[in-house]
Amino acid sequence: MVLEAEIEVRRGDVTVAAAFSAGDLETVALLGPNGAGKTTIVETIAGLVPAASGRILLDDVPIHDLPPERRPIGIAFQDGVLFPHLSVLENVAFPVRARGGRPRAARAHARALLQRLAPGIDPGASPGTLSGGERQRVALARALAGTPRVLILDEPLSAVDVSARAELRALLRRTLRDFDGPRLLVTHDPVEAMTLADRVVVLEDGRITQTGTPDEIRDAPRTRYAADLVGMNLFAGRLTPIEGGAGALETADGVVTVPWPDGVAVEPIDDVLATLAPADVALHAARPEGSARNVIQGMVEEVAILGDRARVRLNGSPRLVAEITTGSVARMAIRTGDVVWASFKAVEIHLMVERRPTDTL
Amino acid sequence: MIVVLASLGAAFVLLPVVALFVRAPWGRIGEALSGVGASTALLLSIEVSLAATAISVVVGVPLAWVLARGEFPGRNLLRAAVVLPMVLPPVVGGVGLLVALGRSGVVGRWLHDALGIQLTFTTAGAVVATTFVSMPLVVLATEAGLRGLDRRYERAAAAMGGSPWYVFRRVTLPMVAPQLAVGAVLTWARALGEFGATITFAGNLAGRTQTMPLAVYQARQIDPGGAIVLSLILVVVSVSVLVALGGRLTGLR
Repeated sequence: MVLEAEIEVRRGDVTVAAAFSAGDLETVALLGPNGAGKTTIVETIAGLVPAASGRILLDDVPIHDLPPERRPIGIAFQDGVLFPHLSVLENVAFPVRARGGRPRAARAHARALLQRLAPGIDPGASPGTLSGGERQRVALARALAGTPRVLILDEPLSAVDVSARAELRALLRRTLRDFDGPRLLVTHDPVEAMTLADRVVVLEDGRITQTGTPDEIRDAPRTRYAADLVGMNLFAGRLTPIEGGAGALETADGVVTVPWPDGVAVEPIDDVLATLAPADVALHAARPEGSARNVIQGMVEEVAILGDRARVRLNGSPRLVAEITTGSVARMAIRTGDVVWASFKAVEIHLMVERRPTDTL
Repeated sequence: MIVVLASLGAAFVLLPVVALFVRAPWGRIGEALSGVGASTALLLSIEVSLAATAISVVVGVPLAWVLARGEFPGRNLLRAAVVLPMVLPPVVGGVGLLVALGRSGVVGRWLHDALGIQLTFTTAGAVVATTFVSMPLVVLATEAGLRGLDRRYERAAAAMGGSPWYVFRRVTLPMVAPQLAVGAVLTWARALGEFGATITFAGNLAGRTQTMPLAVYQARQIDPGGAIVLSLILVVVSVSVLVALGGRLTGLR
């Protein structure tokens, strides 16, 4: 199953135009700032917003002329949009019943889905009593209930508490991975896009500015927005406490030192994500003296110029991207193949740790 | 000063009701009831008002939907036309109905000659006149509910595979049910009290078109005590509905 979209939509005085595809078993993230047109695009694909022109193909079969209820698309809306007058169970049974399924079979199917995706939620509960994370789980179950061929998740984590995010992100990752068909993820959060998607489509002001794998975009962002948000250094791994109120984050290709997060028990934590802005990485020709906790040696793989800034990719342990002025590049005479030193302070690293209340552990 | 004026206003509203209780011929209440044919009129009133409410809901809800959702030229004109019977003197409505649907009326002539249907001086005519006057209430309340409804729910339902009719049945209608219910109750209350259009269009025939208000009007000329008793019955019915609804009616935005 391959989804191809080439659409132009007018919203007010803004025109959103995008052409992209999502392959079978591929997760494509539509990443962009608020108002870039991401939701407009997926709602057009779902048939909820009329396209001014273009085509939407599913395995070469056009679906753009079908009314929304005939398109084989499952969508989890931002904030859930669960029907407030129906129970959690009836919400999830809705797609099956709407397509003519028998109420009993539909409810059994819904119950099984809820068991898997939202085990802690009472199926008889009213959606109004759920937290943001719970609503999103139910919305996810409802999106899958009609056994769609394309899965769309619109900002699945935006209305979710920071404390519930890590767990939900893991659930989203599993659900996306297990879904048999193309998957679209709408997000304004680069970490979400980088950790969940196989390919990222960057949208700005209704236009696609770049398409590529997370690594490609991180290494060579084409616009200021992509550089600032997507072009972050991302570290993922196990966090263990070390002396001096710090922690060592062991990633697959190296260790970075970070300050121990506030309010988190001092014991090893798995699956910790951390970001570091390239602009916070300093480069030196020789090993630097000073207070920076992280000093990493590496070979320059690429120097990409973007305006008056240059992004320098280092093949160190871990791999890093530094962003410095073109003036500094010239002064230090940095070229591909040179070995340089990078340094950054532990406090510049932004940690994403699930803050679980200790009594539930 | 405010308290004085408010007390005056409250007393003014309550005085007629209290007076009805004070002056009621409590000693000969049974006699008075049978003398003015109260049970016949009451049954007819209930029948006519319920029929008018049912028709108003069946036709009025789709009308409200068209007014709330439709985008066509003359929509505001249509809304004004729908509200017109509410602001029109009921007698004028009755005359209009007579000219339109009476035996020699614009459409009534054809109804009579081709189909043998006559509405004037029949219970069906009383229902028509009552519906004409009371339907705007359910239309307006339901339209307000539809306008206040977040469209995202209906869009989500369509994306979940719901056909337009299925979405209307399982999402739109249940979500505006509170406003629809208030509108239906107001419609019914208005229908129960309908006088002018009914007497003008359907006449005042005991057992056929003589509803409670008409019976009160007639009894007042023959037997003032009977008129008071009939009025009290209507007061009791109306207050019961008000109580049964709790604060919902007065909480209407």
